[in-house]
Formats: sequence, structure tokens, C-alpha cells
Amino acid sequence: MAEPAAQTAFAEEALTHLDTLYRGALRLTHDPDQAQDLVQEAYLRALRYQHSYQAGTNMKAWLFAIMRNLFWDRFKGVRKEDVSLDDVGEFVLYDKLRDEGARPESDVLDKIAASEVVAAVDTLPPLHREVVLLVDVEGFSYKDAAETLGVPIGTVMSRLHRARQQLQKSLYDYAVESGIVRPSGMRQVPQQ
Amino acid sequence: MRCEECSDKLDRFVDRELSDTEALQVQLHLEGCPECMDHYDFESHLKRLVKHSCECDKAPEAFREKLRQILS
Ligand SMILES: [Zn+2]
Repeated sequence: MAEPAAQTAFAEEALTHLDTLYRGALRLTHDPDQAQDLVQEAYLRALRYQHSYQAGTNMKAWLFAIMRNLFWDRFKGVRKEDVSLDDVGEFVLYDKLRDEGARPESDVLDKIAASEVVAAVDTLPPLHREVVLLVDVEGFSYKDAAETLGVPIGTVMSRLHRARQQLQKSLYDYAVESGIVRPSGMRQVPQQ
Repeated sequence: MRCEECSDKLDRFVDRELSDTEALQVQLHLEGCPECMDHYDFESHLKRLVKHSCECDKAPEAFREKLRQILS
């Protein structure tokens, strides 16, 4: 076991990444209590294995890897529902909006509430969701994401691409349902 | 650079994963191609939107305190 002072310093540094871990756990479990359990267990494990952390390397990535590995250990059944996103095809919200004349396409995004974006992220299959969390939300490089997830960089890229297409499809469906865009003619509804 | 190649590299450009040389080539293409620029604006806007939307969640203060106790 490390000296108390060293342990405290390690814990303090580890806790600077708490928001990242908590957000990740929340998006993976969809449940604040389970997220807290998962994060707490991850921190205890990190403390126990702190000798395996190499100082100067990416502690955030190391901690996230511990947390997500615990998640997959605990929720093995989830893996089964991890459908491939290949079925989505090359669906791109941008193309859809452009083809149907909603311009500028980017303005549509301004009308989508944050809660809807989170909901769209939550509906991604977990293996795709975690790539979006790492790269888009937490700003990981492809290399760090690949190491955290234990997959090749090419897998990170393909999952990310698929995930973004699926996100765009979800957001498009939402935009149509809520009247932000109209499916035929696709004119933007003027703002009140 | 053709639009197709630009489109292939757009993810990596948005994620700042291209080499300096490749990024410059994409940048030059974007400056001369309004369509690809539009697409780039959209993809980077979407990335920011996902980030900001998900970042709203932060660990509760009581939980942070509890962990601090447990870990010290
Ligand atoms: Zn172009």
C-alpha cells in the first residue's frame, strides 16, 4: 500500500476526473444510483491498483477504462443487445435537410433541446455510445479512446461514424415529430 | 482535393485527427467549396451540441464528498 500522503495525492488527482466518470457511468447505466455505485467501485479499484498506473500518462483514460470494464463485467447481458448499426445505412441528417431544402442545415440543430440530444445519445447501442462519450463529450483522441476501450483505432473510427449517423437519424425523427422540420418540402417552421 | 476525399476526411478533420498537411489540404478545399464548408459547419455544430448537452451532467456534490471520505 502506498504511503498515506501519496495515497491522498493520488485520490485527489483521481477525483478531478469525477465528472467525466460520473457522466460516463450515467450514460452507460441510465440510472443515477447505479452510476454512483459504479463510479465508487471504480475509484476503490483504482486506489487498490494505483501501482499499475504510470505517473504522467492519461489518468482520465485509465480511470474511465476501469469504470467501463466494471460496467461490462456487471452488465454482461447488455452486450447481447448491442446491435450492429450497419442497418442504419448512410443516413445523414445533413443530406436529408439539404435535399429537402432546409437551409442553412445547421440552424435546425439550434432548435433541438439538450435533453433531446442526451436522449438520442442514450438510445445508441452501448458500444457506440461509449465512443461518442469519449471522443465527442470528453475530447479523447482516437488513440486514447482506442486504448481505453481496448480496440483498434479503426474500430473507434467506424463506431464513431456509425454512431453519428444514428444520432442524426434520431435527431431527424425528433425534428420531424416536433415540427422543427417538415418531412415533405422540409420547410423550417418559422419561430414564433 | 475532390469533394469525395474531403467528405471521407471530414470526421477526422472535425476531431482534429488529421496530420497538419492533411488538415491544411482539407482547409483549403473547404475555403473554395461552399457545399463542403456547409457540411463541415453542420458536423462540427453537431459535435459541439452533443458535448454541451451531455456535459450538463455533473457528479452531485454530496457524492464527491462521500468519495473523498472513502478514499482518504
Ligand atoms: Zn467540396
